[in-house]
Amino acid sequence: MTSSGTEKALSLLRRLPRVSIGNLGPNPGAHNEKRRGRGIYGGKTHGAGSGGSGQRQNFMRVGYETGNTPFYLRFSYQTYYKGHHLKLSYTPLCMGKLQMMIDTNRLRCDVPVDVTQLMATGLFSISPQQKEGGFMLENEGIDHFKATINIEVQWANEAVIASVERNGGFITTAYFDPLSLTAAIKPVEFFGRGIAIPRRMLPPQHLIDYYSDPKNRGYLADPAEVARERFLLAQKYGYELPDVNASPNKDILLERKDPRQIFFGLEPGWVVNLKDKVILKPTDPELKEHFAS
Amino acid sequence: EHHCIMAQRLFYPTLRNSLRCFGTTPGWQTEAVAVPQAPSAPLILNETSEIDKNVAEVAREAWIETLDPSGENLHVGLIHLHPKVFATYPRLDIIHENVVWQQKYRMVNTSHTKLRSEVRGGGRKPWPQKGTGRARHGSIRSPLWKGGGVVHGPRAFTTQFYMLSFGKRIMGLTSTLSAKFAQDDLKIVENLDMPSDEAGFLEKLCEDRCWGPSVLFVDDCDLMPRNITVATDTINHINLMPVYGLNVYSMLKHNTVVLTVSASQCIEERILHHLNKPDYHLINCAKCYNK
Repeated sequence: MTSSGTEKALSLLRRLPRVSIGNLGPNPGAHNEKRRGRGIYGGKTHGAGSGGSGQRQNFMRVGYETGNTPFYLRFSYQTYYKGHHLKLSYTPLCMGKLQMMIDTNRLRCDVPVDVTQLMATGLFSISPQQKEGGFMLENEGIDHFKATINIEVQWANEAVIASVERNGGFITTAYFDPLSLTAAIKPVEFFGRGIAIPRRMLPPQHLIDYYSDPKNRGYLADPAEVARERFLLAQKYGYELPDVNASPNKDILLERKDPRQIFFGLEPGWVVNLKDKVILKPTDPELKEHFAS
Repeated sequence: EHHCIMAQRLFYPTLRNSLRCFGTTPGWQTEAVAVPQAPSAPLILNETSEIDKNVAEVAREAWIETLDPSGENLHVGLIHLHPKVFATYPRLDIIHENVVWQQKYRMVNTSHTKLRSEVRGGGRKPWPQKGTGRARHGSIRSPLWKGGGVVHGPRAFTTQFYMLSFGKRIMGLTSTLSAKFAQDDLKIVENLDMPSDEAGFLEKLCEDRCWGPSVLFVDDCDLMPRNITVATDTINHINLMPVYGLNVYSMLKHNTVVLTVSASQCIEERILHHLNKPDYHLINCAKCYNK
């Protein structure tokens, strides 16, 4: 059922003269015939008056209030924005939206899902320069979340973790420093720069606790403790924890990144040449040691 | 279940009229249909593209004709055309933009006026600053003077080049194809094989079928069969074009546009590819597409 507007238009066209070059025209208001302004009074710009400093475009500095203390200088510091330049914000991703993306084949779940895969859907934009840290999973839609995925995000709460693990999936929270995040969200552009893949930096002081905590499935936490927490969470929320060994996607679900790794399958120090389809690896022992540390 | 019922119905030729709703089910499958035809004619019921199969819109049907009038049937088969390419809303303003762009982007303005520095003369101060009682002037070629230079006039070899956004160009193609198809000016032909290489034969064929005076034949490959090439060589208003040369201006300039089956499939595949790709949101991004 084509929209009635389209059907109407096409059936109208059948009765109208043939669409030809001589028949066509722009939409009303499409072309703005701007003429160059002249004169100082009614000439419609291009005149700055005559005489005086106004004619010479002498403006005072922005914010100057002709002598009194201007607004931007009246208040020295406000406590509410202390440390704002250190705080990260995360792009919210609802579980319902995640499920929709998987159902419509927008997001692949036959590979481990991380920032790169989520950005590849084209539905999100992240700017690490504006202190954005990545993705955080939200509670909206956890009740009907059904996919079994191996997902890596930057922030997740307990309920979200439970909803992922209930379906046999795995969730990890991982920190990406701004440089690594820039590389991770736009890999092709990054490879085009021709520099070696950097090592991912460890989280700052106020975040290290979060990512070392097995309750948050942090990537720096002890895997044994994480497994224990999985079991405990299943008991708390009252679901049976599916056995991963029985699942057909076992390899994909158990794949994890090294704390210093940005991309799956690529190590720090490698240079990826997409044009010649070649990966260059460092041979110097000092470099190798540096990138492996 | 729904597909099962559909499949059952399809096997009953008497219920062929109910086939009209066949296109509305998601997923249009290739099914043989009993069309009353001579048994010698091959039946082609084409499902074209792999991309964008599940559409809610009805697929448009077109006869597949042949350029060989000697056969028993003029119509050799039936082809399904994808609605998102051949039955979109005909955006006439976008078609206009495309036509204007095609004409303008190659334009170079050669009109030229001289500046006050370029006009011959005018280096000397015509009369002293004070004392003469006349207005003060520095040069006889200033813009105030008759015969003086022009300030903001046209300067030669100003290009009118600009690139229409990729999305608009795609929409121009789909709108034009839809408009042509809606107005019965789009014909699908099996191939461009003709029995005769005479210009007169082709002109008579076009006249018999009420194909407009000007006809544009579009084929998949740029090496066309010999007969049609020879026939159209002398006729200026009947032209051959490979698929990659398809453009809005040419389609509008010619009254009838005749696509071969392979050309229409190629066009569909390419347009649907662009309409369905994951980075579709970048389609109007000048950085990526307007090179």
